[in-house]
Amino acid sequence: MKVLCEREKLREGLTVATSVIPMKSTRPAVENVYLVATDDALELVGTDLDVAVRFRIEDVKVEEPGTALIPARVAADFVRDLAGDTVTLRTKGDNLLIESGDDCCELTTIDPDEYPVVARFEESDSVRVMAATLTRLVSRTSFAAAREAGRYAMHGILTQTEGDELKMIATDGRRLAMASAALEDADAGSKSAIVPTKGMQLFCRVMDDPTELVAVHFGESQFCLKTTKAEVFARLIDGEFPRYSAVIPPSTENRLEADATTLTQKLKLVANVTSSDTRAVRLSMEKGALTIFGRSASTGEATAHMPVDFDGKPGTIAFNPDYLIDGLKNCESDTVRLEFNEKTSPGKFTLGENYVYIVMPITIDA
Amino acid sequence: MTDLDAHQDSPPDRVVTCTARIAELPERVRNQIAAGEVVERPASVVKELVENALDAGGREIRVDLEEGGVKLVRVVDDGIGMGPEDLVLAFCPHATSKLRDVDDLEHIASLGFRGEALASIGAVSHATILSRPADAPTGYRIEDEWGDVSSVVDAGGPRGTSIEVRDLFLRLPARRRFLKRTSTELGRCLDILQRLIIAHEGIGFVVTHDKKRVLDVEAGMDRRERVRRLFGADLADALEPVHGEDGTTLLTGLVAPPRFGRGDTTRQMWFLNGRPLRDKVLIGVLKQAYRGLSVEQRQPVAFLSLSMDPALVDVNVSPTKSDVRFRDDRRLFGFLVATIRRALAATDMATPGDRMLSTIARRGAWAPAPQQAPLPDPGPQRDDGSMRGARPASNVDDGFRVYEVPASGESARADDPWSKPDDLAGPYVKVAKTYILRAVPDGFEIVDQHALHERITFEGLKQQLAAGGVEVQRLLVPELVEVSRSEGKLLETHAAALEGIGVFLEPFGDTTIAVQGVPALLRSTDSDALVRDLIAMLGRIGAPPPATELLEEVLHSMACRSSVMAGDTLSDEDVHALLRRAVEVGGAQTCPHGRPTRVHFGLADLEKAFHRR
Ligand SMILES: Nc1ncnc2c1ncn2[C@@H]1O[C@H](COP(=O)(O)OP(=O)(O)O)[C@@H](O)[C@H]1O
Ligand SMILES: [Mg+2]
Repeated sequence: MKVLCEREKLREGLTVATSVIPMKSTRPAVENVYLVATDDALELVGTDLDVAVRFRIEDVKVEEPGTALIPARVAADFVRDLAGDTVTLRTKGDNLLIESGDDCCELTTIDPDEYPVVARFEESDSVRVMAATLTRLVSRTSFAAAREAGRYAMHGILTQTEGDELKMIATDGRRLAMASAALEDADAGSKSAIVPTKGMQLFCRVMDDPTELVAVHFGESQFCLKTTKAEVFARLIDGEFPRYSAVIPPSTENRLEADATTLTQKLKLVANVTSSDTRAVRLSMEKGALTIFGRSASTGEATAHMPVDFDGKPGTIAFNPDYLIDGLKNCESDTVRLEFNEKTSPGKFTLGENYVYIVMPITIDA
Repeated sequence: MTDLDAHQDSPPDRVVTCTARIAELPERVRNQIAAGEVVERPASVVKELVENALDAGGREIRVDLEEGGVKLVRVVDDGIGMGPEDLVLAFCPHATSKLRDVDDLEHIASLGFRGEALASIGAVSHATILSRPADAPTGYRIEDEWGDVSSVVDAGGPRGTSIEVRDLFLRLPARRRFLKRTSTELGRCLDILQRLIIAHEGIGFVVTHDKKRVLDVEAGMDRRERVRRLFGADLADALEPVHGEDGTTLLTGLVAPPRFGRGDTTRQMWFLNGRPLRDKVLIGVLKQAYRGLSVEQRQPVAFLSLSMDPALVDVNVSPTKSDVRFRDDRRLFGFLVATIRRALAATDMATPGDRMLSTIARRGAWAPAPQQAPLPDPGPQRDDGSMRGARPASNVDDGFRVYEVPASGESARADDPWSKPDDLAGPYVKVAKTYILRAVPDGFEIVDQHALHERITFEGLKQQLAAGGVEVQRLLVPELVEVSRSEGKLLETHAAALEGIGVFLEPFGDTTIAVQGVPALLRSTDSDALVRDLIAMLGRIGAPPPATELLEEVLHSMACRSSVMAGDTLSDEDVHALLRRAVEVGGAQTCPHGRPTRVHFGLADLEKAFHRR
């Protein structure tokens, strides 16, 4: 293999690839980056077996097509620190030379047959969406996904299409975020997959142009994304996503509208006092006013007041303030709306257009 | 067993005739049978004889053992002694100077009282008493060979009494066969001797085995010094005093931090009105007091004296007097547990760095230079090779004797790092997303963020419980867990108690349980594991669960299950908050499963590590 390419493009590709490649793996071959030089392009492939990326560099001069498997981090670091504008990659026996101007490094390679097979993007039946839309849906929902424990299915984002709509839902069993946006296609049919949060975040990292139209494909076992530069694959989570639709109250008796920034600030204020041995802060509402109250057995108690629009029966509902603050951070409008029926039933927060956040309340000596 | 002995050793001419099938047993045989209750093995002889010596007002007691006490037990005291009239009766059953009347049973304060010990011992050995009362010009001797009592003869001797018991059970092969190896028998003798030594401040003891000195404690040593002499400075220095009164009942003594817990109970001692005993209630007290602080299977180390009105306790439940019956054991239990827990809270629960260093050294990672360290007197155990093999599990000490720090250097370690003005500030070094290193005023510490978080959660849950109710985080969608029919029933029966601690379950068909709500403090819960834990726990505790106890058990297990923070990268802010919460909730030095939450390296440890001392 012998390829001539721009240093900057190579650097970018190696950075993207190494962000996936694990430091240590039970399968040592995947600690490497896989280089594939075809007639007109150089591809850098990285995977940790759950997610995989193919980064494509087009403007290259391939003098001799071929493949090589080289240590990913050393290569990335070396290329990053090179001064020249162009780089030549060239195999020499069992080694690979990276040359630029007067500088050169020679890396030992590993037999490419050791490397796992990484799929190719399937154009057929793929769905087109604006990069910005995809990124926004991920950031609106991923924070609510389970991280440390909980059912495996909740460690991902449920991603669905329905007609011309793309919808993402994430939950950790205590709160749920759901957002949707329009696809570029008029009718994408109805598709569904649970995509690991980690994979989704990689997708977002690869899409660096928000206005780009990207394609996604709901595969058998993988969720795939294609941009002009890269193809990204995430192994799907195989499991049953919680049946969330029943949780979203169709109609509610109590409705509160508050300034999102003020509410966030007041919640943080009260949470300062409660965080050591309690979770709950209580929201007591009546016409025009909201009182936020928290008490901890070891520290003491705190109260904050703020004006709100309230429509319903005066009463109290308690939440984990961390959950509320997480949601409010993503609130896209100036006011946030909270709707609920009882202090034991879900609280529905509207954080923007087509953006709902459900938080289950905390009850005390219920 | 005792029947068997009686047959083998009874004179054939008196026991059985053809015509009369029932005959009175000769006294000697009766005594040999009775001996079975009092004298089981050399250790029981040691116990009876030392107790007699103590009763007689001995100040210096010497115990000589040979072949684990099987060949010889000799107890020498400097007490009041016995005159010829006393000696004649000494080997008679039920001869005692300590009890005149049944009414006295209520008021027994002295250690022995039934007058059976010497008679029993004499029946199963060759026993000799040599005694000289303080006012007598000379001493006297009497012997009991397998029940044949000699007459009293004059004999020279020092003031006090020496009782020698030779060849225990030699003529009773059936009993002899039940004796264990020399080292085991010796271990048992030493165990009881250690208990007696710790119990009796003010009395000096010297113990030899096969002519080598194995234990040696001076009369003037207090309890802590005795522990130091018997078990080493590391334990002695870490002990926390206990003191509590409830009416006329007084609890005093020393408890060790949970990390000293061990596989056996050789360092768990209770003394009731001065007398060592192993009572189930008292063992339970320690178990309860250390619950949540120490790893389940570890036996706490404690040396505790309980003094109470003899009328409130019946010590005559068993012939060996090891179990007793308390009049009001519920109240007593509560009082004892609370008093001990108070003391425990003050102990240093961090794993001291020097302990780790010694572990490292033992593995051979680096070798210390012992010649540079001013070695303290290693104590008698170390002089004597035979002792170490025989004493029950003293291996831990052996590793670290070498590193013992002179008292001056210990001062920093001895007190609780948390009580110092410590602003808990960084910089923090985070290792493997699990450990946090931080400089503290007298060295540095390593915190296991996961263990510490578990502990804080556990304390928080307890506080909520005490404050009137656990916060329940409602779940979005009930999580379903498959159970068996009987498990479902079990959970249903205890539903109310479980709701009290924030676990809301609902039956969902016959063999499915829906988890509707969990304690809000548990940031993430594995419902399946939670339900499994509950089932196991309820199964263990059985029918009507004593509310608080069940709750504690459940909280305990749940706190450890919520694997928060394992491998989470914490910001400096998070770390600071975590450390602050640890201070707020207090007692956060072990996780609920008893793993330490922090390891502390004092300056002394560092100096040792760098061979500066
Ligand atoms: N070491 C001793 N010094 C003085 N008197 C002793 C000693 N050992 C035993 N005696 C006397 O012998 C009696 C019998 O002892 P023992 O059989 O152990 O019964 P008890 O101790 O229950 O009275 C004691 O009551 C005591 O008067
Ligand atoms: Mg006695």
